[in-house]
Amino acid sequence: MPKIKLENLSKSYGDFEVLHSIDLEMQDAEFTVLVGPSGCGKSTTLRMIAGLESVSAGEIYIDDKPVSKLEPKERDLAMVFQDYALYPHMNVAKNMSFALRLEKRPKKEINTKVNEVAEILGLTEFLHRKPAELSGGQRQRVAMGRALTRDSSTFLFDEPLSNLDAKLRTQMRAELAMMRQRVHKNMIYVTHDQIEAMTLADRIVVMHGGKIQQEGTPEQLFKHPANKFVASFLGTPPMNLLQASVQGTSDITSLIGSGFSLRCDDNTKQRLGRASSKEVLLGIRPCDLVFDPSAPEASSIDINVVVSEYVGAQSVLIGDCSGQKVMVELKSDTPIGLGEKLRFAVDLDDLHFFDVDTDQAIV
Amino acid sequence: MSNTIAKRQHPGFYAIVVMLIIMAVGPIAIMLINSFKLDVDITSGTGGLIFMPTIQNYETALCDILPYELDHLDYCALKFGGAFINSLVIAIVSTVLTLIIGCMAAYALVRFKFMGRDTASATTLMVRMVPPAVLLVPVFGLWNNEFCLDKDGLIGGFIRETFGGRGDVCLAGTHSGIILVYIAMNLPFVIWILQSFIVQVPRQLEEAARMDGAGPFQVFFKVVLPLIKPGLAAAAIFTFRIAWNEYLLASALSDRDTKTVPILIVNNMSEFNVEWGVIMATGMLLAIPPIIFTLFASRQIITGMTAGAVKG
Repeated sequence: MPKIKLENLSKSYGDFEVLHSIDLEMQDAEFTVLVGPSGCGKSTTLRMIAGLESVSAGEIYIDDKPVSKLEPKERDLAMVFQDYALYPHMNVAKNMSFALRLEKRPKKEINTKVNEVAEILGLTEFLHRKPAELSGGQRQRVAMGRALTRDSSTFLFDEPLSNLDAKLRTQMRAELAMMRQRVHKNMIYVTHDQIEAMTLADRIVVMHGGKIQQEGTPEQLFKHPANKFVASFLGTPPMNLLQASVQGTSDITSLIGSGFSLRCDDNTKQRLGRASSKEVLLGIRPCDLVFDPSAPEASSIDINVVVSEYVGAQSVLIGDCSGQKVMVELKSDTPIGLGEKLRFAVDLDDLHFFDVDTDQAIV
Repeated sequence: MSNTIAKRQHPGFYAIVVMLIIMAVGPIAIMLINSFKLDVDITSGTGGLIFMPTIQNYETALCDILPYELDHLDYCALKFGGAFINSLVIAIVSTVLTLIIGCMAAYALVRFKFMGRDTASATTLMVRMVPPAVLLVPVFGLWNNEFCLDKDGLIGGFIRETFGGRGDVCLAGTHSGIILVYIAMNLPFVIWILQSFIVQVPRQLEEAARMDGAGPFQVFFKVVLPLIKPGLAAAAIFTFRIAWNEYLLASALSDRDTKTVPILIVNNMSEFNVEWGVIMATGMLLAIPPIIFTLFASRQIITGMTAGAVKG
């Protein structure tokens, strides 16, 4: 599989720069997910790789060959579009074989290929239907089939599941993951849904404001977010971010915020020593707060629970910690009462700290 | 239940409907009936439906292409067959060329970015607002005197040798001359109508085709064109109808061999003797091609062509 590399890639519309010098290298046969909120430049990046959008500055390399001036068809890429983009005047078989027919491949080969892919995607009985006669999920599968029939080295996905309803999306996500195991190709996938990103990716690239915020495996990003944005973007429910200040004498250092006062151990003390000021942003994942009424005050947070959202095995509590909103995730059968002040134990190793000036993580 | 049983309307409603039907169908019915009458029956003023039907008028009209001799006619003066073929050639060729040029121009105006695009788009239709009568004199002059090939020149000489005739080879009096004017006349409207269809083709489809390896022309012919078929059909009906019916420009630009049916019918009225029966018969024959063409073209106009292309 060819390696795709982006070097100082920029995109401007007039004087307005939407993508600021992106550097990215994708590994062989890797599933890379570009994720970020709308308008972060992830789709633009993908479309630039595809060749549908011109490159303002920088270069795209496919196997060390600069391609930014090449037409899409010269880049050997297949793409699945957000709105399926199926040709309405062609039936499913014709849609899937369009690229092969343009290449003037022999008819027999085209038929074999189409049947093979239709088999994989469960589309065999729909081959003679027009796109208008298919359901959303089937159309999505045809769109994927169209990419699969071509022996492209790289697949590009532009938010392929965003038009499906919740149930179908989960199902298609699983199918994609299964297809991923069968088909060893480079895949670049754009989504705004962090769950899709977490479940599918070998590597996630989090983008915001036209810049790459962090890249790494889903686990790396979840456990060690590089900055405040990544921390709050990945994970549901999102990470709690609380204002705190570091105070202490020579032997005892405490993290004090409104409603809590945590005693720091040596390790934490060292980490906090690297902060640019005494004020820090304290990050705790909702799942890291453990309901423990008997926990000592120096290693716990008191939360006044306002709302409980029941989601099955888990419940998400939305609480108030002296004016700051805090979310907690815990087992549904935990006996808690709404409107009560509850105590949650905190493990210092689970805490994330962010510099208030730069928003960068303190490690 | 009121959905299945038609509600009884006010009698005035039926009166109006009948009146409208008579207004719409009446003249055609009269023409049809009269085309089967002899001139004496038509002009005698008795009217009515009691007469001896005859196809003599049609025979007279088509005398130059009928395989048999006519008893009632000594000399076939009316060259309806020839004019009919002229009309067909001119209408079909000008329609086809207008559509080909029009759809490409419309696509360029909608999809490509270039300087003066909006101005070009806005002014195309303005050109259509110029009445043909205004065009008549300058076009006549140009076609007769300017756009000519010297009869001693290479191509001009060849044409004169092959097809005969006298003088320089000019556009006036040729099929091409009339076709050119019709294309120029119909193009603005066709571009305008096709623009609105092309705008509706999702851009993603074109992008998908490009990703599939289609070049600009393949994107246009294999993806865009099939999707704007209803627009093409509508434009074709419009163009064909205009080219088929046009009288003014054709009367000035055609000669004896290239005249179209409308010209022929009008010329058939002489000062002292109007052959009503023949005029009615030629009128009926004139109406047939556009009807067939419209029936054929309108089958292409199916709404919801783009349904299911992208999420809808």
